[in-house]
Amino acid sequence: MKIIVFIRQIVNPQVKLKGVDYFDTSRVNEDDLIINPNGKNAIEGALKLKEELGAEVTVICSRGLKPNKALREAIAMGCDNAIEVAEEFFYTNDPLILAKIYANILEKIGEFDLILLGVEEQATNSYATAAMLAENLNLPSVLYAEEIEIQGDKLRIGHVLEGGRKIVEMPMKGIISCSDSQFFIPRYTSMRGILTAKRAEIPIWKEEDIGVSASLVGEDAASLKQVSLSNIVIEKESFIIKEGDPEEQVDKLIAKMKEDGIKLGV
Amino acid sequence: MKALIFIQIRENLVEENTLGVLNKLIEANPNIEIHGALLGNQIQNEWIEEAGKHGVKKIHIVKASELEVYLSRPYVKSMLEIIKEIEPDLVIAAGTVYGEDLIPRLAVQHGVSCAERITDISFDGKEISFHTPVRDDQAMKISKIVGPIKFATTRTGAFFINENPTGGAPEVMEITVSFDEEDMIVKHIEIRKAERTVNLKDAKVIVAGGRGVGGKENFQIIKELAELLDGEIGATRACTDVHWIEETYEIGQTGQSVSPDLYIGAGISGAPQHMSGIKAKTLIAINTDEGAPIFNYADYGIVGDMHIILPILKKKLES
Repeated sequence: MKIIVFIRQIVNPQVKLKGVDYFDTSRVNEDDLIINPNGKNAIEGALKLKEELGAEVTVICSRGLKPNKALREAIAMGCDNAIEVAEEFFYTNDPLILAKIYANILEKIGEFDLILLGVEEQATNSYATAAMLAENLNLPSVLYAEEIEIQGDKLRIGHVLEGGRKIVEMPMKGIISCSDSQFFIPRYTSMRGILTAKRAEIPIWKEEDIGVSASLVGEDAASLKQVSLSNIVIEKESFIIKEGDPEEQVDKLIAKMKEDGIKLGV
Repeated sequence: MKALIFIQIRENLVEENTLGVLNKLIEANPNIEIHGALLGNQIQNEWIEEAGKHGVKKIHIVKASELEVYLSRPYVKSMLEIIKEIEPDLVIAAGTVYGEDLIPRLAVQHGVSCAERITDISFDGKEISFHTPVRDDQAMKISKIVGPIKFATTRTGAFFINENPTGGAPEVMEITVSFDEEDMIVKHIEIRKAERTVNLKDAKVIVAGGRGVGGKENFQIIKELAELLDGEIGATRACTDVHWIEETYEIGQTGQSVSPDLYIGAGISGAPQHMSGIKAKTLIAINTDEGAPIFNYADYGIVGDMHIILPILKKKLES
């Protein structure tokens, strides 16, 4: 069984860059890059299935911002192979462009069974790629998975649902997007994994390797175009007590709320 | 401007986010002609009436046993038939799990992309601008879609429902769609409904915990504080998923929507899925991480460890 995991590298949401500055790549340090949290959930899902089924897990990262760091971490977690895809002229503001790129990568890979992705990309809130890829490849798919169970030659998947959880069954060849449920909480990297990752050879596939060009995946090819990105002016004034002894912090909170005439307590 | 909305049913009622989207569409474009798609095995007249009241002029129904519960392929197939029939300019759905599953697929079938989790929409002739908040609601991305039909999902909880809708009975049309084995490749097994034994909707005070609570036993302090404030407890899906607390207390997109006077969020990062379920008059956040998005929503906040802060808060309120 061959499992493919698509991840993206994002700027750590913990960085101090607010609003539009967060998206300004010139302000970003290499140290601030992390695997998109839901992507890491997908890696965990793949590794759990690998343990049960003896699968080979290939992780692919298509972020232009030095993806090797993300991919080495994925290998250190237990993935078998990694492929870096250079994205010089990818227009990544459109989830369909990403889905097209992924479809091309899969065509080059040729043989695969299960494809795992994260439910969404943090910060951009983009979730549509998994469903779009499934439609592009005409593969069965389940989104928002919270648990995967192997049932003979099928997968039984529980996914998020308003007011509960829905259980469905899907063939092994398909696409699943993974949430941050308990089942997908990523494992830590092991010492041995880190050593393996250090030595791992990670091929870089260029656009020509996967048969895409700017006319296919560049901004002009995108059907969803970003017109503007601007900071939201927050009218509400927040009173956040960042420092101090906990007792003092609580005193300050109670005093300030009293001053504002807001009832806290009975 | 002709719009087609995917009408979703939850708990035997038209789902409230769908009603919110209808209100938003009419507010943004009073001349819009709204069509609704209603898919299922049994369609109730009350749903049709309700959608009509909220502004849907024509309802397109597909009835089939294969549509008993949402599954991507039969729903996509049915929606494609309706779209072919009415040729809308906009196809939109509230961003529930099903709405977010459906819309991108429909878009791809028309060779275009879709706008995701919008909180605002504006019309200029045939042009539509889609507004999506990004980076924990610190920035707004405005996008356009190039193509004859535009596809979008909305963020749940983003729009108000018209409390006094005045629409009349919609025209009803039924379309027949047949399904084959390939359409049913993903099989429905069961829905495990979360037990909703506590209604948080009318709670005036809610003390809620997130992943930062760290364990079942740590919910004790949340319970105690809630009791002291004569309020209810709440939790994020992360907590109910690991059974730190009963699932009835889940707040957010997939749990309960709440609108208390006071909401205290402890150890909650503030993911949109949770925050979209909260409309609080006053929100207090307690989190060790200064960069946690919940502080952007908070009126008051303490950067600190809830396991230390909450007991102190309780003690001081008691005295």
